[in-house]
Amino acid sequence: MAASISGYTFSSVCYHSANSNSDHEGFLLGEVRQEETVSISDTQISSAELLQVVEVHNHEPCAQLFSFYDYAGKVNDENLNRILKDRHKNVIGWYRFRRNTQQQMSFREQIIHKQLTQLLGVPDLVFLLFSFISTANNSTHALEYVLFRPNRSRYNQRVTLHIPNLGTTSQQEYKVSSVPNTSLNYAKVIKEHGAEFFDKDGVMKDIRTIFQVYGALQDRVQAVCGEVEQNERVKEKFQEEVNKLKQQIALRKQKSAEEERRLQEAQNPEQRPTPEENSEPLETSLLSRVVFHTPSTPERLGPSANPPSYADLLSLQDDSLLPSLSSPTSAALLPRPQAVGSPGHPSPSPLGLNPSPAPSPSMPYLGNGDGSSSDSLDRQAAGQEDDDEEEEEDDDDDSSEYENLVSEVAQLPPVTASVLAQGRPAALSPDGDASVLGSQTS
Amino acid sequence: MAVSAVHLESDAFLVCMNHALSTEKEEVMGLCIGEVDTNRIVHIHSVIILRGSDKRKDRVEISPEQLSSAATEADYRLADMTGRPMRVVGWYHSHPHITVWPSHVDVRTQAMYQMMDQGFVGLIFSCFIEDKNTKTGRVLYTCFQSVQAQKGSEYERIEIPIHVVPHEAIGKVCLESAVELPRILCQEEQDTYRKIHSLTHLDPITKIHNGSVFTKNLCSQMSAVSGSLLQWLEDCLEQNRKSIIELQLEKERLTQELATM
Repeated sequence: MAASISGYTFSSVCYHSANSNSDHEGFLLGEVRQEETVSISDTQISSAELLQVVEVHNHEPCAQLFSFYDYAGKVNDENLNRILKDRHKNVIGWYRFRRNTQQQMSFREQIIHKQLTQLLGVPDLVFLLFSFISTANNSTHALEYVLFRPNRSRYNQRVTLHIPNLGTTSQQEYKVSSVPNTSLNYAKVIKEHGAEFFDKDGVMKDIRTIFQVYGALQDRVQAVCGEVEQNERVKEKFQEEVNKLKQQIALRKQKSAEEERRLQEAQNPEQRPTPEENSEPLETSLLSRVVFHTPSTPERLGPSANPPSYADLLSLQDDSLLPSLSSPTSAALLPRPQAVGSPGHPSPSPLGLNPSPAPSPSMPYLGNGDGSSSDSLDRQAAGQEDDDEEEEEDDDDDSSEYENLVSEVAQLPPVTASVLAQGRPAALSPDGDASVLGSQTS
Repeated sequence: MAVSAVHLESDAFLVCMNHALSTEKEEVMGLCIGEVDTNRIVHIHSVIILRGSDKRKDRVEISPEQLSSAATEADYRLADMTGRPMRVVGWYHSHPHITVWPSHVDVRTQAMYQMMDQGFVGLIFSCFIEDKNTKTGRVLYTCFQSVQAQKGSEYERIEIPIHVVPHEAIGKVCLESAVELPRILCQEEQDTYRKIHSLTHLDPITKIHNGSVFTKNLCSQMSAVSGSLLQWLEDCLEQNRKSIIELQLEKERLTQELATM
């Protein structure tokens, strides 16, 4: 089996994935062809081999996770049809983007895949897995992609994904000199009949024609580009309005929660707050934060908001956890992995990476990028995918701050801790330890 | 250090990826446009696709003319649209089939740019990498600057953290940069052909051959680049139409929720 995807579709998937702070998924639309290759060998006159060619034309991104399946992995046919609508018949596969995880299908993905195969009626449905991984200092990132054919036997499940491109439009093919020839006959014939190809200016007619085709195509590209640009602006405006409304709602909720708390305190002024009581409002606000954030569209900074500075980041994490949890709007200030990087100077990394400049790669897991197997490298990331907001680990240089988070969580009542523990992003450390970070619901 | 980190807007990242994936036979390059804030973070808002000035596969260098005209474009057109002063803050190029780390030439080139602007950063996109054993494809990107090594006058690379920052919609400038690619490719082909065409000692058969090569190359560009580009743009339109409808519904729902509170 051979598979291909256009560079533009591939980049588009990367773009949508980069915009999401959790896993990202969607459907692959295209067509599957059978190509026959005839080969002649000594033993057979001709043997025809059928090659299945999977061509991905475009993708249909899902706006959020769990849009067509639930937590148990059961696919909802109605939602599926709502997402796909009339593109139902063009689906040839689906894809998933996750960060810091192994390149294997998770159990949930496998059961979803089985159901999709049945519901969509595509016997050889493919699954494209994108996994994203970074160095500890975030200077280098890798996006790995594998195409699976899970409905096939256990072996040969992976298919090479080819990205067609300009490749060999070599300009070396122009000839700068003619083959030496003194034959008068040759010169005469080619001059007489070759003249057909040229117009009165000595320019080849073909060139004028193809140039017209190119010009018309480029004009159309510009026109459609203009339409897309307008569309993007409209979408942006709606997104801003939706974000503003969400903020207003969040503010109102916060205000009413505070009022309730003040009322309660006013009614019981004598009692000293005990740890359990103190954590009560915390628990409700925590739960409301959790409910607020999953599984709807993750809250994100508006386009005009600047990512927090590194100084802000460090001071936030130094403060205790409690104040930052009470107001949902301050959640926007918690570090978002994509928006914030670690300081540029080499920090004393406990992970044992050598941050000093060296011509040879300092990342043990990328090898030398020339296709050497990654199996030899220590990738012991736990295969757990986090379907809630899975985040890239930020501030890798100081993992002790995450330990603080974990100890804070441990003090809360068990109910809260279990809610938080639902999603635990697995941390990849090059030295092989899969340290589990306390979940950070932002 | 002059730069603490680089924040690359996701729509600029999209254009870089488009460009890097457009050919596996040679290195492509471009310039990064943006601004540097008071925390020494370089924000890249868009990129400009450049023509290769050196057709050698393993070298990418930007000519002074390209740099100057890009700077002008950054000043007028881009600053105009965003309302903030923008300038050339770095360069990017691709490493098809090769490791993402900059070569010695790259590090030297970067050092040269840093002489005129300390905050100039270099980005490299490595693509068309495949691990035959696991059938895994890879795309990598890295950010670096150059420093003088302690010993001798050689330059060394230093790693700069880079993050792709979400940008929900594709900016106008990025879209325009993306659709420049077919035009640039056609321009390059025309220039090469013009030089060949001016050779007068060629016999008609050779001229027909060359003309056909031009036609063939242009056809290749149209199908591999323009066609795919158009398909992607149409898909964007389709996806946006759906998103807009969903956003409208969500806006109504939220407005109602706010009214009842």
